[in-house]
Amino acid sequence: MIQVERLAFAYGKTQVLQDINLTVQPGEILSIVGPNGCGKSTLLKLMRGQLPPGQGRILWQGQDIATLNRRALARMAAVVPQSTPVHFPFPVRELVMMGRYARQSGWWGASTTDHQAVERALAVTDTLHLAERPVTQLSGGELQRVLLARALAQDTPLLLLDEATSHLDLDHRLEMADLLVRLNREQGTTVVQISHDLDLAVETSQRILLMNGCGEVVSLGQPHEVLTTEHIRQVFRVEVQVETNPYSGAPRLYSTRSISNWQAPPRIHVICGGGCGGELLRRLHVAGCQLSVGPLNRGDTDLELALALNLEVAKEQPFCPISAQALEESSILCRAADVLIIAPTVWGPGNLSCLELAREALDRQQPVLLIDPRPDRDFSGGPAWNTLQTILDGGGEVAADVEAALERLKRPTPTGNGQPSG
Amino acid sequence: MSGSTAHRSWLWLVILGSALIIALLFSLWAGTLPMTPGELFAVLSGDASSPTQHAVVWKIRWPRALLAALVGAALGSSGGAFQAVLRNPLADPYILGVSGGAALGAVIALTLGIAAPLLLPMAAFCGALAALALVYWVAQAYRGSPHTLILCGVMVGSLASALLLFLLWLAPADQTRTAIFWLAGNLSSADPQLLGWTGLGAGLAFLSLWSQARKLDLFTQGEEVAADLGLAVGRSRLLIFACAGALTAAAVAIAGLVGFVGLTVPHIVRLLWGPAHRRLLPASALAGAAFLMLADALSRSLFAPAEIPIGVVTALLGAPFFLYLLRRREGNL
Repeated sequence: MIQVERLAFAYGKTQVLQDINLTVQPGEILSIVGPNGCGKSTLLKLMRGQLPPGQGRILWQGQDIATLNRRALARMAAVVPQSTPVHFPFPVRELVMMGRYARQSGWWGASTTDHQAVERALAVTDTLHLAERPVTQLSGGELQRVLLARALAQDTPLLLLDEATSHLDLDHRLEMADLLVRLNREQGTTVVQISHDLDLAVETSQRILLMNGCGEVVSLGQPHEVLTTEHIRQVFRVEVQVETNPYSGAPRLYSTRSISNWQAPPRIHVICGGGCGGELLRRLHVAGCQLSVGPLNRGDTDLELALALNLEVAKEQPFCPISAQALEESSILCRAADVLIIAPTVWGPGNLSCLELAREALDRQQPVLLIDPRPDRDFSGGPAWNTLQTILDGGGEVAADVEAALERLKRPTPTGNGQPSG
Repeated sequence: MSGSTAHRSWLWLVILGSALIIALLFSLWAGTLPMTPGELFAVLSGDASSPTQHAVVWKIRWPRALLAALVGAALGSSGGAFQAVLRNPLADPYILGVSGGAALGAVIALTLGIAAPLLLPMAAFCGALAALALVYWVAQAYRGSPHTLILCGVMVGSLASALLLFLLWLAPADQTRTAIFWLAGNLSSADPQLLGWTGLGAGLAFLSLWSQARKLDLFTQGEEVAADLGLAVGRSRLLIFACAGALTAAAVAIAGLVGFVGLTVPHIVRLLWGPAHRRLLPASALAGAAFLMLADALSRSLFAPAEIPIGVVTALLGAPFFLYLLRRREGNL
């Protein structure tokens, strides 16, 4: 029905979509999922000719979309937008009648077919009772149903929905999902939808397109092929368990991240630098940990973040090797902490001395957690990796990534004298 | 908001029709020559006792009322169209700089000493279209954002008024007075031939605009949604601008700067009749006609025999109402 061939798009110099290939099969329900700002809406805009593609092309039933006029496009696809601010107080019925524009030739009256299509659309979206109300007086959910009604009145073989269910109550959201499935089954309507509700998308879709934050397709296929633990971790950086919904057989995602079992968040000192500690600091801060950081050179993005979060920091002059004074300040902060975390930073002669802090901590029986220590980050010519090795031998623990580090911190600590968890 | 829309629209058609007739009668009755209502009806029914009254009503007041009605109708309907296309309650021939362009065109003609009765309005007409083209062309660079368009309109309007003031400063005193009088609005130049031709042009422009009514409805939903619903946005906008611009130009060309009709009248009509343009455009035309006939009658009778410029009267009536509307609706329509 729609073929997207090697599509790329950029807003100015910001690359939004890269090398998208996609064929929408007639009669399927396809959901596009991905993190915020990954280009889902842009993709949908390109697919309906609202933006000219940067590279590649889009075909509708074999015809390049650039050669089709708006009326022809509107007879083939109806769009339910994310949300539109409404300023003009059109009665609901008149707003829905706008969906018939592409089908009408005259400009004055609407035909019987038009009226029937409008009434049917109002009825199936549960908005018939709102028909006389001005759209400016509707709630967000009511307005979304009215916008869906307008798209249904357009009577097209293809429906494009841009987060069209985001404002709906649970009952209307499920009802809308049912409605889409029914239209799909009974009239063969093809549906392409952007959805933030992964569970609902999975329940209703035959195929899922998963995009990552860089505007690339990570996976395209049936729900159980796309929504795997690995894909979700890769795209959303969240640990999930994939189970099967016993009622529908569709895959269902369960977050394995425990949110509320942290009664007394520990005090943590973080050694980072060069931007490697950003996510760690942010996540620990949000989780409620008391944080201190250092030593950090002025101008370091990690320092900017630490200051923005109002953390205690041991500072050093820009681009200088770490001085004894900064090290001493860090040591004081470090001693006050329950746990020391070493972020996956790059080691060189300048910051090698920071690792002394870890050795001191282990000597004090203080827990030390290293995130993803690797020899290829050692630019000191060997000493850094050797020191890291001795820290590991001396009882330092390893976490594969930030997520794992958080999980480790939440478990009762088996080592040392720190009692991070309550 | 209960009751059927059709019922409401008929009710308001009756109300508007009555308002129009009352405004017309008031406009024929009011003026320097005093007349009782009975005498007016006698004149209208053809058995006037005084030939002076007959002449004043039919030779002076009747053409002038028609002129006021024409100008009001043109401004009211074009204002409604601009507001829809730009999705902006502030959109109006004046804010868009169209009237400024028209005034500049007229003053250029005056400065050059062109005083032929048809050439002067034609110059204003050209100025109006040139201003609209300039605003449209500049705003195009910003992909047609409504706010940018308004901003461009204000800038073009300022440019036009600056040039206009410069020309007035250059001009000899007697011409300056003419120009100022012209710019404050003037309905006294009701030359039947001019009125006929301008009326025909404005009528055609109105009919073309009316035939775009459903497109205007779609424009109110935003250009992206309108395009999704099947509207060729760029082409339609150009056509609507041309029609509404021609209506504005016609009004400015024959009556000078008459403000607040294009801004206020569509607002009131929308509150009463709803925003659908197949009703809003004719209703705005009728309401604009009634409004301007009343305003003109007031301008002639309040300080008779002296006459207040019509633009002053409409601004005094329209501006406070618009401020109130803006405050109450917090920028929404």
